Amino acid sequence: MESRNKFVLIVLSIISIILIGITSFNDSIISPLRQAVGIVLLPVQSGVNTAGRAVYDNIEEQRKIHSAITENIELNKKIDELTQENTKLMADNGELARLRELYKLDESYSDYPKVGARVVAKDSTKWFSTFTIDKGSDDGIAVDMNVIGYGGLIGIVTDVGKNYATVRAVIDDISRVSAMSLRTGALCRVDGNLEQYNEGRLILRDVKSDADVNEGDMIVTSNVSTKYLPNILIGYARDLKDDSSRLTKSGYIIPVVNFDTISEVLVITKLKEVSDQ
Amino acid sequence: MRRIIVNIAFIIFAFALQICIFPFIPFLYASPNLLIILTFTYGFSLGVEEGMLYGLICGILMDLYVAGPFGFFTFLFLWIGFINGKLSTYFYEEYIVLPVAVCAASEVMYNVFIYIFKFLIREKFNVVFYIKNIIIPEVVITLIFTLILYRFLLWYNKKLRVLDSRGINR
Repeated sequence: MESRNKFVLIVLSIISIILIGITSFNDSIISPLRQAVGIVLLPVQSGVNTAGRAVYDNIEEQRKIHSAITENIELNKKIDELTQENTKLMADNGELARLRELYKLDESYSDYPKVGARVVAKDSTKWFSTFTIDKGSDDGIAVDMNVIGYGGLIGIVTDVGKNYATVRAVIDDISRVSAMSLRTGALCRVDGNLEQYNEGRLILRDVKSDADVNEGDMIVTSNVSTKYLPNILIGYARDLKDDSSRLTKSGYIIPVVNFDTISEVLVITKLKEVSDQ
Repeated sequence: MRRIIVNIAFIIFAFALQICIFPFIPFLYASPNLLIILTFTYGFSLGVEEGMLYGLICGILMDLYVAGPFGFFTFLFLWIGFINGKLSTYFYEEYIVLPVAVCAASEVMYNVFIYIFKFLIREKFNVVFYIKNIIIPEVVITLIFTLILYRFLLWYNKKLRVLDSRGINR
C-alpha cells in the first residue's frame, strides 16, 4: 500500500516533468485538450462571474443611489457648461483632422476593426497578470492580436479557444513591447515588471542616450514591433536616467490603463503584417 | 465513491470561484488559494491516496487554465497532496493549530515553487519584495479562508463517509 503510493507519486511526477519538457518547446500538443476544457469551463466561468458580479453590483448600486441625487443637481449645471465647451471642441476637431493628415497619423488605432469582450476570469495569484475573455476564434480572434481599452494598450492574446481567449497584460513580468516616443519616433522598449507595477509603473529601457525622449512624452507601440500594431498608447515616460554603460537611457512608464479594474476590453482583429524587407 | 465525486465537484466549483470571483473583488489585496486549501484539507484528513488524487485534479485544472508548459502545477499539487497525506498520521479533528501550520507551509511551498521556476530562473533576485508583497498577503488570506472552510470540509466529508459506508453495507 505504502510503496504503491510512492510508486504512483514517482510515476506521475516523472510524467509531468516530461510533459513540462515537451510543452515548453511545443505546446500545440496540449492545446486541443486546453480548448476542450475551455469550451466546457467558459459557461461555468461566465455563470459564476455574472452571479458574483450581480451581487457585488447590487451592493454598489445601493451605495451609488445615495450619492446620485446630489450628483444629479451638480451634473445638470455641468451640462450647460459642457454644451458650450462642445461647440468649441467641434471647431477644434476640424483642426485636428487637418493636422492629422499633416502628420500622416492616418493609422490611428480608432480605425482598426475591433471586437469587444468581457473579462471572465483572472489569475488569482499576484505572480501573473493574465486573464480570460469571453470571445474566441468564433468571433475572429487569433493569437498575437492586440488588446486595448481604457485609452491604451492592455496586452496581447496568447491563447485562443473556440469561445474564449487568454490575454497577457503588458504588466506581466515576461511582457516586452517594442515602443517609441510619439513626438519624435525614438525607439525604446517597455518591459512589464512585477516589482515596478506594485508602484504603478512599467520599465522603459533601451532608449539611445542621444535619442530625443523627454519626461512626460507619450510612449506608443512602435512601427518596428513584430506583434504590436503601431501608435497604440502605452503611457507616459518618467525618470529617465543614463544607464551605467552611458549608451542607453532607461526610466519608467506610467501606464494610462488601470490594470486592477479591467472588466471590458477591445481586441483589434487585425494582425500586424510584418513586411519581409 | 460518492465522497470522491462530491469532492471533485467541490474542487471544480472552488476553481471557478478562485479565477472568476476573487480577483474581481476590488478591496481584496490578494485572493485566497482555494485549491491549496482543498488539497491540503483532503490530503491531511483523508490520507495519501486521496491527497494525491485531489492534488492531481487541482494541478491539471490549473495547468489547463494557465498558459505555459503543461505539467508545472500538476507536479506541484501532486506533491502538496502527497506531503499533506503523509502528515495525516498527526491528524486529530479537534486540533486547529497544526492544520493551520501545515496549510501555511503548503501555501509557502506553492509560492516558493512558482518564484523559483518562473522568476528566479529569469534572474529576478529581489526575494524580499516578492515575499513581502505577494507571498505573505496570499498566505494570510488563505489562512483566514482555511479557518472558515476547514471545519466545514471535515464535517461534510464525515457525513459523506457515513453515507458511503451505509451504501456498502446494504
